Amino acid sequence: MLAIQQVGKIYPGGVNALEGFSSNIELGEIVAIVGGSGCGKSTLLRLVSGLDQSTQGRISIDGTYYTTPQEKIGIVFQEPRLFPWLTVAQNVGFGLADRPREERDRRVAAQLSRVGLADKASAWPRQLSGGQAQRVALARALVMRPEVLLLDEPFSALDAFTRADLQDHLLGLWADQKPTMIVVTHDVDEAIVLADRVLVMKTHPGRLQEEIVIDLPRPRDRQSAAFDFAKRRVMGALDRSLGRRAGAEELEVRVEEGAARWW
Amino acid sequence: MPARTCDSRCVIAEPVFAAGMTITRSTATTTAPPRPRRNSAWWLRPVLGLLLPVTAAAIWEAAVYAGFSDGRLVPPPSRIFATFMDLARSGELLTHALATSLRVAAGFAIGVVSGTIMGAITGYSFYARRLLDPSLQALRAIPSVAWVPLFILWLGIFEASKVTLIAVGVFFPVYLGVMAGVLGVDRKIVEVGRAFRLSGFEMVRRILLPAVLPEFVVAVRSGLGLGWMFVVAAEFLGASEGLGYLLIDGQQLGKPAQIVAAIVAFAILGKLTDWLIVIATAPLLRWQDSYGTRQRGA
Repeated sequence: MLAIQQVGKIYPGGVNALEGFSSNIELGEIVAIVGGSGCGKSTLLRLVSGLDQSTQGRISIDGTYYTTPQEKIGIVFQEPRLFPWLTVAQNVGFGLADRPREERDRRVAAQLSRVGLADKASAWPRQLSGGQAQRVALARALVMRPEVLLLDEPFSALDAFTRADLQDHLLGLWADQKPTMIVVTHDVDEAIVLADRVLVMKTHPGRLQEEIVIDLPRPRDRQSAAFDFAKRRVMGALDRSLGRRAGAEELEVRVEEGAARWW
Repeated sequence: MPARTCDSRCVIAEPVFAAGMTITRSTATTTAPPRPRRNSAWWLRPVLGLLLPVTAAAIWEAAVYAGFSDGRLVPPPSRIFATFMDLARSGELLTHALATSLRVAAGFAIGVVSGTIMGAITGYSFYARRLLDPSLQALRAIPSVAWVPLFILWLGIFEASKVTLIAVGVFFPVYLGVMAGVLGVDRKIVEVGRAFRLSGFEMVRRILLPAVLPEFVVAVRSGLGLGWMFVVAAEFLGASEGLGYLLIDGQQLGKPAQIVAAIVAFAILGKLTDWLIVIATAPLLRWQDSYGTRQRGA
């Protein structure tokens, strides 16, 4: 279990990015974090990853407190961040350098075929499309069999079709290994497709506004009424977090237009 | 369809029509693709580059042959070539070229290794950079040949002082190139290394150095250039063999053809070793996605 206790971050220079955030995240749970820009959602993810240190509170995984990157925690960034001088297979095997060659090759091959890129094993990153590169980044994190997988707006740079495709793909991969996943996103649809729980954040300073449980069965139909209902609840919470009180009619229109357009 | 029957003069007009053409039209053209314009002149560019030196050499050769000059101070190409071949045949050229090459190789190896290590350390660590870089930059500002008297006092007149001078010459471009390269590595990629919990040494070995490889090759090539430059300076200051010795010997005995022959040998060796670096590193740089590689690929 991942326990985040009263965590806050004040950057040098005095920006209060996050304040008093607490949440317990169970193994195998998928949590989405949404909120306007400057709500500290990326900051939170960086603290959980151990790449940044909190200035307040503490985080533990399976009862162990930590402040540095952990073996049990994998991360996928907004950009693929592949190593351009390594082939796709070498990129995926990057974290397995200390394992015997035979084991490494086997795990890399298995993971690559699971993300559907077995034929790209010896390609260079520059030869991949955006969606393929992000799948390699996913494979690079998943091949380590992390207990917790952090995703920082993983699909936001991709076009809508690829994005929906990769969301379904991600759920398939999650079903294989059942890691805990924390997805930071500004796409409400993405949050509802993926998450068991959506945490809506509030700005200045960043803190938790509301927690919305999405108990829809998977796979989730993006066109269903229940999906739409969940979306309205999240959007309502987002509006409250931004200090807006949208009328029912206005909200209706916004829901139809899709979320990604204003935050 | 006028474009189909006309000759190569109206090639430019074809693409304009192509958009509206039917498929039968485009299959007809694939049987006889228009030849790219550049093809006709691919051999012309090197020839153009050679035109000036070859003409000048030919004129000088003719002038000496016709008796306008005795060619004593400026030997004609035929005499330089003869001298070069004589030196080659007697084995002298090989001895001298080998002596010089070994000095450059030793100095180059020391300079590249130490430059890479120091550049990686100062690039990676903020405090190491604050501590070491100002002193190294101050040393770099000293014209390296100015070290020669000191090196001779310290290390004697034989190989050690020569190799050290060459190593100093090679060190600085490599050091600067590696340090600047490491400082320029994308922070986001370094962060991936941190997420994989790499140690400082592993970070340098597995991420920073591979990332700066293109800059590293450039730095090593300019280092090698300086190495060849400094070996001459080193050999001027008392050597009994080496191409630099051939130069001095040619001057003292009034043999300009020998001087030019040694210069030619330097040019050949310099170009050859530079080319070897390019060839040896090309497979390591295949991953690059840059303007230059795209041009080569095209």
